[in-house]
This record gives sequence, structure tokens and C-alpha cells, in this order.
Amino acid sequence: MMENAWLIPLFPLLSFLILLLFGKRLKEASAYVGILLTLASLVFSILVLFERFSEPTYSTKFDWLTIGDLHLTAGFEVNQLNALMLFIVSLVSFLVHTYSKGYMNGDERFPVFYAYLGLFTFAMLGLVISPNLLQTYIFWELVGVGSFLLIGFYYYKEEAKAAAKKAFIMTRIGDVGLFIGMILLFWETKSFEYSEIFAAVDAGAVSGTMITLTAILIFIGAVGKSGQFPLHTWLPDAMEGPTPVSALIHAATMVAAGVYLVAALFPLFAASKTALLTIAVIGAFTAIFAASIGLVQTDIKRVLAYSTVSQLGYMMLALGSAGYVAGVFHLMTHAFFKALLFLAAGSVIHAVHTQNIEEMGGLWKKLKLTGPLFLIGTLAISGVPGLSGFFSKDEILVAAWEGGHPILFFLALIAAFMTAFYMFRLFFLVFTGEARSEQKHVHESPNNMTYPMILLGVLAVIAGYVNTPWFGSFLGDWLVDGNPALGHGHVEGPIWIMIAATVVSLAGIYFAYLMYRKRSIARNTISGTGDTLHTILLNKYYVDEFYQLTVVAFTKGLSYFLRFIDVFLVEGLVKGVVGIVQGLGRTGSKMQTGQVQTYGAVAFFSLALLVVIFALTGGYLR
Amino acid sequence: MSLETLSEFNWSVMTPEFIILGVIALLTLLDLFMPKRIDRRILGWLSIAGIIAAMAALFSLLGTEPTSILYDTFTLDMFGKSFKLLLLAGAGLVMFLAVSYDAKEGMEDYRGEFYYLFLTALLGAMFMTSSGDLITLFIGLELLSISSYILAGIKKHNLKSNESAMKYVINGSIATAITLFGMSYVYGLTGSTNLAEIANKLSAVVDGQHTYLLGLAFLMIFVGLSFKLASAPFHMWAPDVYQGAPTPVTAFLSVVSKTAGFVIVIRILISVFFNAAPSGDGGSILFKMHDYLAFLAAVTMIIGNVVALKQTNIKRMFAYSSIAHAGYLLVALTTLSANLIFSVWFYLLAYMLMNLGAFAVIQVVTEKTGSAEIADFAGLYRRSPVLAVTMGILLVSLAGFPGTAGFIGKLNIFVGAFYGEPHYVLASIMIATTVVSYFYYFGVMTQMFFRPAREESKFNLPFGIIVVLIVAVVGSVLFGVAPNIALDFLNKM
Repeated sequence: MMENAWLIPLFPLLSFLILLLFGKRLKEASAYVGILLTLASLVFSILVLFERFSEPTYSTKFDWLTIGDLHLTAGFEVNQLNALMLFIVSLVSFLVHTYSKGYMNGDERFPVFYAYLGLFTFAMLGLVISPNLLQTYIFWELVGVGSFLLIGFYYYKEEAKAAAKKAFIMTRIGDVGLFIGMILLFWETKSFEYSEIFAAVDAGAVSGTMITLTAILIFIGAVGKSGQFPLHTWLPDAMEGPTPVSALIHAATMVAAGVYLVAALFPLFAASKTALLTIAVIGAFTAIFAASIGLVQTDIKRVLAYSTVSQLGYMMLALGSAGYVAGVFHLMTHAFFKALLFLAAGSVIHAVHTQNIEEMGGLWKKLKLTGPLFLIGTLAISGVPGLSGFFSKDEILVAAWEGGHPILFFLALIAAFMTAFYMFRLFFLVFTGEARSEQKHVHESPNNMTYPMILLGVLAVIAGYVNTPWFGSFLGDWLVDGNPALGHGHVEGPIWIMIAATVVSLAGIYFAYLMYRKRSIARNTISGTGDTLHTILLNKYYVDEFYQLTVVAFTKGLSYFLRFIDVFLVEGLVKGVVGIVQGLGRTGSKMQTGQVQTYGAVAFFSLALLVVIFALTGGYLR
Repeated sequence: MSLETLSEFNWSVMTPEFIILGVIALLTLLDLFMPKRIDRRILGWLSIAGIIAAMAALFSLLGTEPTSILYDTFTLDMFGKSFKLLLLAGAGLVMFLAVSYDAKEGMEDYRGEFYYLFLTALLGAMFMTSSGDLITLFIGLELLSISSYILAGIKKHNLKSNESAMKYVINGSIATAITLFGMSYVYGLTGSTNLAEIANKLSAVVDGQHTYLLGLAFLMIFVGLSFKLASAPFHMWAPDVYQGAPTPVTAFLSVVSKTAGFVIVIRILISVFFNAAPSGDGGSILFKMHDYLAFLAAVTMIIGNVVALKQTNIKRMFAYSSIAHAGYLLVALTTLSANLIFSVWFYLLAYMLMNLGAFAVIQVVTEKTGSAEIADFAGLYRRSPVLAVTMGILLVSLAGFPGTAGFIGKLNIFVGAFYGEPHYVLASIMIATTVVSYFYYFGVMTQMFFRPAREESKFNLPFGIIVVLIVAVVGSVLFGVAPNIALDFLNKM
């Protein structure tokens, strides 16, 4: 089965092509094309995953391009990480395809939406089975294109257009780092292959400084894609896209690509203490930074977006603390519960047609399925014992502690408190309290929307049990099997960490309960609406404004200057060149008289000219 | 030559040629004796069957060692096999266009000839790939040329078609004369027409006078043959002839005939001039002459791409585009890099796929609208998304964007320009003119996708056209995504 893993990305590609060509004719039936083909991917992924449990890594490659001595290869690889990612991506993609059938129902560009979903899924699946950096980079960019198209799907909305552009540009900034890092690595190791790069690093063929430099450059690419500070600002804006897209791309798959990249290149990062520390610090800072912003946002999707940024920070923290297993584990559980939360949020938005949580309330009774499912997701992300998020977050905290970063550990612990608080704030505001009078026709979503949520709900509960301190660390042992560079499958941490995590999470929930349900603590106890802290948080620490004032202003200033040059110098030059080209074209056309004598004469005189030159130069031009 | 020696030759290496010849004979007889009322299209399908059979025969010969028969006048080597395959594939695809061709006027009476003349032209081209002798090379060239002259004027009562044939034949004769004149110098210097023998003799030439004459011979042969390549200075016939000839013939001229041109140029360059090391300081005369080649390549790229910008007729535009592509190929010839043959072969393969595919679309659109203006492509995406997307992919490949065979072809040539002594100027001109080419290729794109349609009627795609489009698109993408398939294949020959 594993030797056929290359088929997995091709099904969604086929879906994209079919819908591109025949979408108009298929109309609503487009959904079935997409759903069936991603289901095929999912089935293959499951088979591959199960086969990988018992068999060794399968990898194959062939010369993709040979020019003289230059050999570039292409191929695919199924190792533990890839097999797991294939499963996660194809599962979430399949569920989102199914869900969108209900959510996007009636949209004029319904087939186009499914076509884009297919393109994105193809790129993402292609990304996770790439065995070399060049191939990864190609799919990495393609994933960006898919994300751009989907964020800007409602292109008639100004915000959506702006958000799509912003996402594309911000991630491109990171990609420049990735690109330079990739070229430098190729320069040093003469190969794009992961295995050969690792071998070169292992053999000490690359200097320590170079390893640190390339690792950090590649990490910059991951920072852009995974919305880490300071390139995080595009992710909340990306919520302008349709909600199923947010669930697929901006929660479960693409934003996890940065984490995946660091994990896939982990042996390279592990060779540089500096690089690891950078990752850990950025990760921990992002985790608490984004969580604090999440405390005050009023848009249901934006709260979830900041929570995503924060959780991705956790994963980076884990990887940076050499907790390979913890990072990948959290990537998996997060994919399930965050996709669930987004789909449930979509179901809420579908029902009440607003995204402002201040305008919601009392939906628990009306959305009999969405409510409990949202609660499951909330409990999981808050780290309540027994659910998947609890186990993976515990692993990360242990990794951070054992990795020797007590400060980062405490930052992560505080962020965990905030997470529980803002998630339950969201829950209480949306589902409890008084029902709003303006919401009359609230109804539960159709089956094709609720079924995917139910499945994700089940996974959000049970997915953690594959790797627990109580029942064995199956996932961890499997992930690092045969690869000592990745560290241990399970790190035994002090028991108080688990207790602390539980206490912190429950405390967060309790505070939220007091403040937003029982209202025994006034909402403005710590910081009231309008005071400084609240304003700062509400404005997301003014990062956007900061960029506006510095980067954008600087760029604008530069652009005015350049424009000046452009108008007076370049334009003149361009006009000249265009004029010359046009003139040449005109002359050429004019020479084409249609007179056959002219043609013969031109050929004959040209030959004569060549012969004369040849004769004059004594046969040699030099 | 006794009958015994004749029967001792390993005739099997000529099987593909024999099959084509047999089919030609069969078609001539059928056309003669078949009742008038029977649709001659059947002959077209027979020719396709013949070409496929010839390809099968060629495949069965792939494993054979290089073999020479008829006193070294016919050689089946790796070069011959690989280019013969290209010619057969190109002619096969053109044949699919031909059976789908619906001439509006003036072809009812000689529809049969329309098909078997393609085959005679193909036979001439195939002989050229295997010729080991100037005489057979020339005969092959003439067989190809004369068949093409008739084909260009096959619409006997169409003024444009007549004009096209007339111009073609006059220019062709001038070119032939020049080529022959150049060849006579070579014969005069060496006293032989056999390529191997000529090479042998030339490698011993040290006399400065001889070198000088050899240089003249080179210039004349090359300028004469540039007619077939449609490159400067013998390029001016192309737009007029392409425009007037029936579309399948235009497609044939721009692909198969051009491929044959490169075959004969490479044969002569490599076997005759490459070994001539005149002044005794090492290095063949080719390296001494490569400034001339570079100059002609540059002029060809510039003329082709720049004048194409001004065209309003799609067939004329493609004529200039075909001149431009000849220019890129000449860059490969100029630089004489180690993988010269592969670069040229791959580029011609890519060019065959994308250009024939584009001509299939052009044929459908021009037949529908009755004119060949670029503006007729307006709104094609509305009228036929499949046709527009297909054309889009082919145009992107012609422009040389990553992910397509056209890109890999250009990349090969471009990288080749930096082997040995780097050709910075030539490489820069190649890049610059490629950028210029985006404007006219994307001009068509703009018409197809962003302009409103003049009329809403839909298209019916004949079977032959569908075949060509599928092969062209699949090939262009496949060789763009996995170019080494072609390289591996070539290495196995």
C-alpha cells in the first residue's frame, strides 16, 4: 500500500481538474465529486497509516531533471510523521468537504469553492509526502495559493480581498527566509534530500554556524505559515474566508505546515542549540501573546483564530524544547478539536447570521447538537482531564520543564489558564444566558453539517489516549522508532506538572463561570471596557498599527522615492525600449511586403553580407 | 552491385521506411480505383494506421546496434532512431488534424492526394535522419520539399493557397540552389559525398586556402538550410506560406518540416564540419564559425518575437512564433554543449506537442468563424471552456512557464549556453525575447478569457482534434512535470 501513497494527493487534484472543466455543468453535484475523491484519499491514507505501523519507512525517488551533471530528484516518502499527517489532512479535508455541502449551499460559485478545496487538499497532501526540500517548497507555495484563493473566495467583499492579499504577502515574507535557507543548504550539502541533508549534518560536513543560520532561516518560513509572532497578523484576518475553510486551512492543516516543517527537519534543528532556543522562545511568547488577545475579542471566529495562533505557539515551544513527540502529538489533537470548534462555530453562524458573540446567547437549547459538541471542543482545548487536549498539553509542559526552560514553562502555564478562560467566556456568552429576541428562526444545521462535527467530537475526546502517561505512549514510541535523533517516545515528568495543569485549567473555567455565567464577578474587575489594558488587548497590542506606522510607512516612503525615480528615469527607459521594440516590429512587418522577390533578395544579400565579412576578416572574426 | 550483395544487406533496419512507402503505394492505387462517391477520409485513417505500424516497427528496432547498409548511405543509429520517432509522431498528429480538416472549397477532387502527400514528405524526412551520404540527404530533402510545395497549394481554386504555394516553391528553389552550391564546395574539397569519408578527409586538412573554402561552404549550406528551419535570413516566406496553406499543412510545415531541417543541419554540422580542424590549433571549424551562428540565432529570436507582436492574424502570429522557436534551437546549436542532441531533441518534442495542439485549436476556431483573426478567439472560455483551457495550457508551455515541457526545453538550452565558454549575450537575448513573447501569447489568453464573445455558438470537436488535444496537453504537462522520462527513453536507444 505504501508504495501507492503517491496516489493520495492525486485524487483531490483530479477533483480540482474535473470541477474546473465541468463545474458549471455539474452545479450542486460538484460536492459529490469532491467528497468522493477526498474519501478515496482518506481510505488510502488510513491503509497507509496502518501499514506503516508494522512496516519500515518506504521511500522512493527518481531523477526529476538532469541537465549535464546536475541531478534533481523527486519522489515521495512514508515515514511515521508523513503517514500521520496524511491521515490528519485527508480526514479533516473529507469532513470539511462534507460539511461545506450544507454550509455553502446556494452559493453562486459553489463548484468553484469545491475546485479550490481540491487544489488546496492536493497541495497539502503533496507537501506532507515530499522527501526533499525543493518539492516541499513547490507544494508549500501551492498551499499558499490555495489559501489565497479560499480566503478571498468572497472577492466582492473588500475585507476578504484585503485579507487574502495580506495572508499571501505575510506568508511570502516568511517564504523568502525558507527559500534562502533551502538554497544555502543545497550549497552546503549539494542536495535537497532530507536524508542526505541529515547525513551531512550528522557527519559534521556543515559548520555549526551554517546549521544555525539555515535552521533559523527555514524557521522563518515556518513562522510565516504557522502565524507565529511577529508574522501572525494575517491569520485572524484570514477569518474573512468561509468558515469551513477556516476549519480546514487555518486550524488543522496549512497553519500546521510550519510545525510540520520544523518536525520534518528536526534532526537539522536538533543540531543547533541556538536554533532550538529561538523556536522555543518564539513559540512560548506567541502562545501567551495570542492567548491574551483572545481574552477580549468579540468575534467568534477571531477568538478561535487567536486561540489557533496560541496553540501553534505551544507546538513550537514543544519542538524547541526538544519535545518532538509532544509537538507532533499536540498537532494531531489540536487538528481535531480546533476543526471541531470551527465547524461548530460555523454551525452557530449558519443559525444566527452574525459573528459577534455579544449578539448571541442562550443558544444551548436551540442548537441541541452544536452546543454539546462545542462544549466538547472547549473542554478539550482547555485541557480538562480525560480529553485529548489534556494529554498533549501535559506532554508539552513536561517537555518545556525537562528541556530546562522554567520561564517558558511558566509562560505556557499562564497561557493555559488564559486559554481555559477565554474559551469558556466564548462558550458562556454564546450558549448560555438570555436568548436574544432578534434571533427568531434559529435552527440546528442539516445532517451533512452535524455528522462531521460528531465524528470530530468523538476524536477530540479519544484521540489523546494513544499517548498517555497512564496507558502507555504508543504514539510517541512509534513516532521516534528507529530514529534516535528525535528523542524519546515518552518523557517522564514530575507528577505535579499534571496537577498544576489541571488546576490552572479548572481555575480558568471557574473564573469564566463566575464572570460570564453567574456574573458574581463583574466583567470589568481586572480591566474594564475602555481602560488601557483592555484597549491594548482589543487592539491586538497594536501590532497591525505598528506595522502600519513603521513597515508600511517606510515602504510607502521608499515607494514614493522609487516612484520618483520610476516616473523620471525608468519610465523614460521603458518607453524607449517599448518604442524600439514596437518600431522594430513595425519595420519587420513593413519589410514583409508580400513580394516574393524581396524575400529572396533579403536571403541572398544576407548571405552575401556574411560571406563578405568572412572574406574581410580572413576567415576568422577574431 | 550483384543481387547477392543486395540480399546480404540487413534490410530490416529500413522497415519503418518500407511500411510508409507501402502505404503510399497502396493509397495511390486505392485513390485511383476507388469509386468517386466513397469518402476519401478513409485514406487518411489508413495513413494513420500506416504511421502507427511504422512506429511499432521502429520500436522493435530500438534495441539494435547502429547498423549501416547500402555502402554507408543508410545508417540507423541512436540519432536516426530518436529523430525518426519524433517525425513519425509529429506526422501522425498532423494526420489526425488532416482527417478532421473541413476545407470550405476546392479540395473535393484531390482529397486523396492530400493524405498521401503528407506521407511522401514524411518519407523524405525519415530518409534524412538516416542518411550517411550527401546525395541521399539531398534526395530526402527534395522529396520533403516538393511534397510540401504541392500540399501548400492543395486548395487549387483558393487564391491564398495558390499564392502560398507559389512563394514557397520560388523561395525553396533559391534555398536549394544555395545549399547545393555549398555542398559542391565540400565535394570539391574532399572528392566524396559520403559523410564519414568527408569527415575523415577534412580532419586532415591543414591548408589555409582549404579552410577558407570550407568556411564559405559552411555559410552557404547553413543559409540554404535555414529555409527549412524558417530562421534568419531565410525566414520571410514563413508568414505568407503559413497563412495561405490549409491549417494541417501549416502545422506540418511548422513542426515536421522544421524538425527535418534540424535533422539535416545537425547531420551536416556534426559529421562534416565538427571534425574539420583546419588551422591545426585544435578545435573544429564549427567553433571558429560560431559567431556567425550566434548572430543568426540572435537575429532569428529577435525578428520572430518582435514582429509577432504586431500580428492580428493567428496563423501569421504562429509563423513568427515558429521563427522564434527556431531561434532558441539555434542557440543550442551555437553553444555545442555536451548534451546538444538531447537539448534539441527534447525541445523539438516539446515544440511538437504544444504547437500541434495549438494548431488543432486554431483549426477548430478558424473553421467555425471562417477567418483567422486573433480577435476571433474572444470569449472562447464562454463558448468552450475545454478548448480555452487546453489552449491556455499550450500557450503557457509555448511561453515557457515552469511546470510545462516548454520550460524544461528552454531550461536545457539555457543551461547549455553556460557550458564551456559561456555565451552571456546570447543567453540574455534568449531571456529578453522570451519575455517579449509573453505579450503575444498572453494577448491570445486575454482574448479567450477576458473578452466578451462575439457570438455564442458552441463547438463540435471532431474525434481527430480530440486525440491531438489530449496528446498535446498530457505530453506538455507530463514532460514538464517529469522531464526525465524523455531522457531515460533517449538513453535506452
